[in-house]
Amino acid sequence: MNIIKLARLAWRNLLRNGRRTLITLLVSSAGFAALAIVAGYMEFTFYGLQEMTICRGFTAGGGTGHLQIFRKEALDREERFPLEYGIGQNQTIQSEIEKEKNVLATIPRIEFNGLISNGEKSISFLGTGVVPEKEIKLIDYWNQTNKMTNSRRMDNSAYLNLAKGAPNGVLVGEEMAKALDAKVGTNLMLMSTTVDGAVNAVDVTVAGIARNPMKSIDRYYLVSHLETAQNLMFTDKVSKIVVVLNNTGNTQSAIPSISRRINGSGSSGSFSIVPWQSLAEYYYSVRDAYNIIFSFTGIIVVVIVFLSCANTMLMATMERVREIGTLKAIGISNSWISLMFLLEGFFIGLLSVAGGIVLKFLFSIIINNSGFRMPPPPGMTSSYLLNIFPAMEFLPWISLLVIASTTLSGLLALIKIRKISIVNSLSHV
Amino acid sequence: MKEPIIARLDGISRYYGSGAGQVNALENITLSFDKGAMTALAGPSGSGKSTLLHILGCIDKPDKGTVLIDGIDTTPLSLEQLSSLRLEKIGFVFQSFNLIPVLTAYENVELPLLFKELPKQLIAEKVQEVLAKVGLLERKNHYPRQLSGGQQQRVAIARALVGNPSMILADEPTANLDSNTGKSILDLLFSLNDRESITTVIASHDPAVLERVGKVVRIRDGRIFPD
Ligand SMILES: Nc1ncnc2c1ncn2[C@@H]1O[C@H](COP(=O)(O)OP(=O)(O)OP(=O)(O)O)[C@@H](O)[C@H]1O
Ligand SMILES: [Mg+2]
Repeated sequence: MNIIKLARLAWRNLLRNGRRTLITLLVSSAGFAALAIVAGYMEFTFYGLQEMTICRGFTAGGGTGHLQIFRKEALDREERFPLEYGIGQNQTIQSEIEKEKNVLATIPRIEFNGLISNGEKSISFLGTGVVPEKEIKLIDYWNQTNKMTNSRRMDNSAYLNLAKGAPNGVLVGEEMAKALDAKVGTNLMLMSTTVDGAVNAVDVTVAGIARNPMKSIDRYYLVSHLETAQNLMFTDKVSKIVVVLNNTGNTQSAIPSISRRINGSGSSGSFSIVPWQSLAEYYYSVRDAYNIIFSFTGIIVVVIVFLSCANTMLMATMERVREIGTLKAIGISNSWISLMFLLEGFFIGLLSVAGGIVLKFLFSIIINNSGFRMPPPPGMTSSYLLNIFPAMEFLPWISLLVIASTTLSGLLALIKIRKISIVNSLSHV
Repeated sequence: MKEPIIARLDGISRYYGSGAGQVNALENITLSFDKGAMTALAGPSGSGKSTLLHILGCIDKPDKGTVLIDGIDTTPLSLEQLSSLRLEKIGFVFQSFNLIPVLTAYENVELPLLFKELPKQLIAEKVQEVLAKVGLLERKNHYPRQLSGGQQQRVAIARALVGNPSMILADEPTANLDSNTGKSILDLLFSLNDRESITTVIASHDPAVLERVGKVVRIRDGRIFPD
């Protein structure tokens, strides 16, 4: 059989009931567009979450940056005392890393914890010792370099306050400030263990109240100058060095060249380089949850497309009972007749993809220019501008899904076709 | 010399329904069709002419008896096998023409050939040839709705003819046509039978048909009724 001629027959059959075909096309094109827009929204959400993880983080320790440098032992072994496996002479290492071409900044940090007291009451804290000017680079990356810039600006005033204020200034979480009845300018005391195992204390002043993105952490949230933490702990080491790249996409490719710079060419250097993905538990848990929601939406849309197309197919078979009977009487096998209906579904699928692509770009442009704001994600505090990403890599899959569901709807017609008795269909009007 | 038999019905019965409401549409019919013969099935409405033609054309199965086409016993054949048997050996002409509305006259005639393994060139020649025989070559690019009833029936005859079938089965081919047009369709069937020895079976209760056909099989209440 000349498949082209069968395709021509299927095509003409589609044009036969133009209005019905058009309605089916609209439904499946809209289905395609819906899936593509959901995919674009999903990509936007995941990108935003990824950049949020990198720039602010969802722990007490701040943004993960793109890469974090640790001493190898720090990851393998439990420390016997604080900073046993900290990084010494971090300046040298930082300037070495900053020579690398895609690196925007390097940020040293100390993680420490202990008690914070207002003289009457003490509560525990999870602290990070930072260089505020360096932390601001991470916010600059968000505000100037990445694709979220248009959706939402990130505020750097807390770090500016810390940088401008007294050297013993600290930022505390809102809840912590409430618990200690502290305001900007309040004097507090930090207590912690030194690297020698002794207990030490330093006086600090509240330089700002900063909200941690995770509400549950806010009560323990504390940021100090790097020196404050080092003085408290009697050390000149840092816990890690955070690396900021010019683009998250360069994360993996940056690892080997940075490793060469700080570990030498040998395979066993003294530093581990950990990409942000390994530090992004929250990102992956949200991503998993969203994936379920998005898949569910996808299934619903596909079912609607399938049903609308199946309806068209069944109506077409009903209308053409006598014709199908004639084809069978002539000696054309059920398989060829079924193939003709599958082709009709396939063509609807192809046209829907074409129509869907147009609709998708149209709606994306409208949505992206409408200034529509999304409410804050779970556990977060600020809204953001909705933006639909192009999600190009999803389009082939969505096309496949739509074409498969319109083509398979022809299968329903197929069941019907097999059942049609030739003799009865010939007397059918 | 007697012509060879092209089709044979042996003890055919066909029942519809069951119990008290059972209709014996055909009852123990035995009939042979000679190669090149023109046969008419006559009888009042409801007598079983169409049922007989359907069974002969292998689009319906008898409840009893056997059907032989070109010496092949059709009883054990599967649906697919029956389908290809029809494609090879049987041409149907229907009362209401049954052309495919989205195909032109040419394409309608071409259709059955597309399902056989034939070279393109041969298909084109064959289609032209039969369209010329039914006198519709100059209308080949017209769609059925652009053709008169008589012209549509000519296309249907060309479609039945194009695959060189062993026989052509026509169920009331003139019933939807006025008497003049009907006559010209009959003329066509007769001349094809005459000149090309195409075995033809016509079911009809039209006296105009019956008076022209040599062999008339009269059926009443599903039985053959001797003249
Ligand atoms: N699908 C069916 N179900 C039940 N009875 C049927 C069916 N098809 C045919 N019959 C019955 O079988 C008998 C023969 O019908 P058939 O159509 O063969 O008659 P016919 O001679 O072709 O009549 P007509 O001249 O009106 O076309 C009739 O009594 C008819 O009612
Ligand atoms: Mg009849």
